[in-house]
Amino acid sequence: MASHYEAPIRRPLVLGEKSYHDVSVDIAKPVEGKANKSWWIVFSISLAAFLWGIGCIIYTISTGIGVWGLNKTIGWAWDITNFVWWVGIGHAGTLISAVLLLFRQKWRMAINRSAEAMTIFAVIQAGLFPLIHMGRPWLGYWVLPIPNQFGSLWVNFNSPLLWDVFAISTYLSVSLVFWWTGLLPDFAMIRDRAVKPFQKKIYSLLAFGWSGRAKDWQRFEEVSLVLAGLATPLVLSVHTIVSFDFATSIVPGWHTTIFPPYFVAGAVFSGFAMVNTLLIIMRKVVSLEDYITVQHIELMNIVIMITGSIVGVAYISELFIAWYSGVEYEQYAFLNRATGPYWWAYLLMMTCNVFSPQFMWFKKLRTSIMFSFFISIVVNVGMWFERFVIIVTSLHRDYMPSAWTMFQPTFVDIGIFIGTIGFFFVLFLLYARTFPVVSQAEVKAILKSSGQRYKRIRESGESLVGTGTDPRTHNINIHAGSPIVDEQSTVKAHDPEAINQLMDSVGVFDPLTQTKDDLQQINGVGPKMEEVLNGIGIYSFLQVSKMTKREYDLLDEITASFPGRAERDDWAGQAKILINNKE
Amino acid sequence: MKSLFRLIILMVVLVSFASCQNKSRPNYQFFPDMYEPIGYEAYGEVEFLPDGMASKLPAEGSVARGHIPFDIDESIEGYNLAKASLVTPLDSTQIDGPRGGQLYDIYCGVCHGKKGDGQGILVQREKILGVPSFDDQGRAVTQGSVYHTIHYGKNVMGSYANQLNEEERWQVVDYVMQLKSELGGSQTVKDSI
Repeated sequence: MASHYEAPIRRPLVLGEKSYHDVSVDIAKPVEGKANKSWWIVFSISLAAFLWGIGCIIYTISTGIGVWGLNKTIGWAWDITNFVWWVGIGHAGTLISAVLLLFRQKWRMAINRSAEAMTIFAVIQAGLFPLIHMGRPWLGYWVLPIPNQFGSLWVNFNSPLLWDVFAISTYLSVSLVFWWTGLLPDFAMIRDRAVKPFQKKIYSLLAFGWSGRAKDWQRFEEVSLVLAGLATPLVLSVHTIVSFDFATSIVPGWHTTIFPPYFVAGAVFSGFAMVNTLLIIMRKVVSLEDYITVQHIELMNIVIMITGSIVGVAYISELFIAWYSGVEYEQYAFLNRATGPYWWAYLLMMTCNVFSPQFMWFKKLRTSIMFSFFISIVVNVGMWFERFVIIVTSLHRDYMPSAWTMFQPTFVDIGIFIGTIGFFFVLFLLYARTFPVVSQAEVKAILKSSGQRYKRIRESGESLVGTGTDPRTHNINIHAGSPIVDEQSTVKAHDPEAINQLMDSVGVFDPLTQTKDDLQQINGVGPKMEEVLNGIGIYSFLQVSKMTKREYDLLDEITASFPGRAERDDWAGQAKILINNKE
Repeated sequence: MKSLFRLIILMVVLVSFASCQNKSRPNYQFFPDMYEPIGYEAYGEVEFLPDGMASKLPAEGSVARGHIPFDIDESIEGYNLAKASLVTPLDSTQIDGPRGGQLYDIYCGVCHGKKGDGQGILVQREKILGVPSFDDQGRAVTQGSVYHTIHYGKNVMGSYANQLNEEERWQVVDYVMQLKSELGGSQTVKDSI
């Protein structure tokens, strides 16, 4: 490891004296363990909110949009507010996994899995609103350009609402693929650790037969990079398209060219705030404080501070342009926001979005977990009000004073919003108990460069050779458990070095989790040879199947009998067939 | 083999769905939001009227805008009065021979024959008998009598007032007089004017 250089200024990203095995155990623990009482309590509350929301949705669809607080002037209010809010929240996940990957930010490793999960669950919530706010949602499929019996009646590709359909559906599917691809090595880890047959079956299906070969990893990295390269423009364009819903209109207060970047900045702002909220809870609940460290929270706070400042600049730009434009309607729209009947919403939005992230300039505040948690919630409240203010205050007073009105949400508006929050947490809580919430493969990739233990060893000038071992996974006394090998074994370890080499390549048999196979089923292995193999430490077909020319030669060297026998009979090939037959 | 079996199952399921359509009754509809009218349609059925028909008869003696009642009544006297005094209100620019011919062929030719000789297709096939020719000397039809007959009907002939409006009737009358003269009747329409 002498060739490795990392600036000493960098703080460790994985705390504690973690070995690779510790990483696996820590990450698999929530999946392998049972849910505790507090999980059930939170899950029940979320589920209740979700079911209440479903009730409200069914009531809306079966009774009509009139059960909402919308009126003829204000045709969009809570529905699209919530839609844009949820889409915005979803953006941080892709930003963390894609943009931070492109910028080689190692600190994303511990948070990207949960951030992507958050993306997917948030986009699902967002995706509900375009459907349920339709007057006739059962004809929602008409937004798709499907050849049909109406003389092939087509959609108009000029509407940003149609672009929304493409943007959101592409975004969801790409995010899902990106997330799932990253999950394969982790599912494989859970699969390989699983002891219960049902769990084993499920995670085998989820892992898609990931075997972690060099070729797989090489392609895996390429795919991740390509997807990150695709997801970055996607994440920018999706929220841009969402902002076009407003920016392409003629409504004063909506018709602005600043919306696309400003909405994206706001999305990153609110998304990071949501990631922060969730991770601060999760690191505590599933005891991942060593992986999601205060440094991670601090870095997220810095992103929140930067994007919050961008949003602040956008607010000032809007106000300046309104004054500079000389358009009375535009000027009135902003005057109305500040001093009209919704002044409180505007003030709330300004306070939460412009002032609260500025606290992050103080190191004491941005490294405080309690304070970050509080601010992250404040930011999400502020961003909800940003969308509400943009939508409602622009609509309720525009060109014709005779069309001026007010907006009052009903319990159904509120109930559906609460329902989506419940649904989000139902999904997130289920995820936290069934998925590896931290990408163990990626954390293991940075363990030696950024793990606290390795930084310490490196800084003290010691060699890292052999430090990757863990007493729980190495040097297992193979005679400790079953199977019991005859003490009278005729085999003598001729060459410990050769045996070690052989065992390194075929893998160690763990009698606690694996069962011994009848090696005599292999053509060419008799009772004598089985005893010899067991003596070396080979008990399973899996081990035999990993043998190649080199291992055969080592085996010949060790046993010094029947030279070339194993290779002629193709024991490895036979073992593979036997493994397949066994399953 | 297994996948082929699954494919066949799938096909059977799909075909069985298609077979749900019954040709003898209207097909299934997906959310028929505006298929059924809320307003009353001209020939629609309604519950609340005694005869169940959405179309009701107008009040006796009412006159619709743009219509003038035909005040010669349906009787021998009326017929004779019309025969003697009634002439076409259409002037020479309004008379449209080809159109009158088309209307005649549609409504009259089936019995009276395309030439007006009483040899329509129903007569040739002997479905009905006793259709006179327009040049029948004993009848000596005039514009007025033809119009009266179209309006009210005569003997076994029913009224055609429902099929032809007033202007169309006079176009047919003109065409009938033209056929009569072509058959060798004593006078043409033009002569009579």
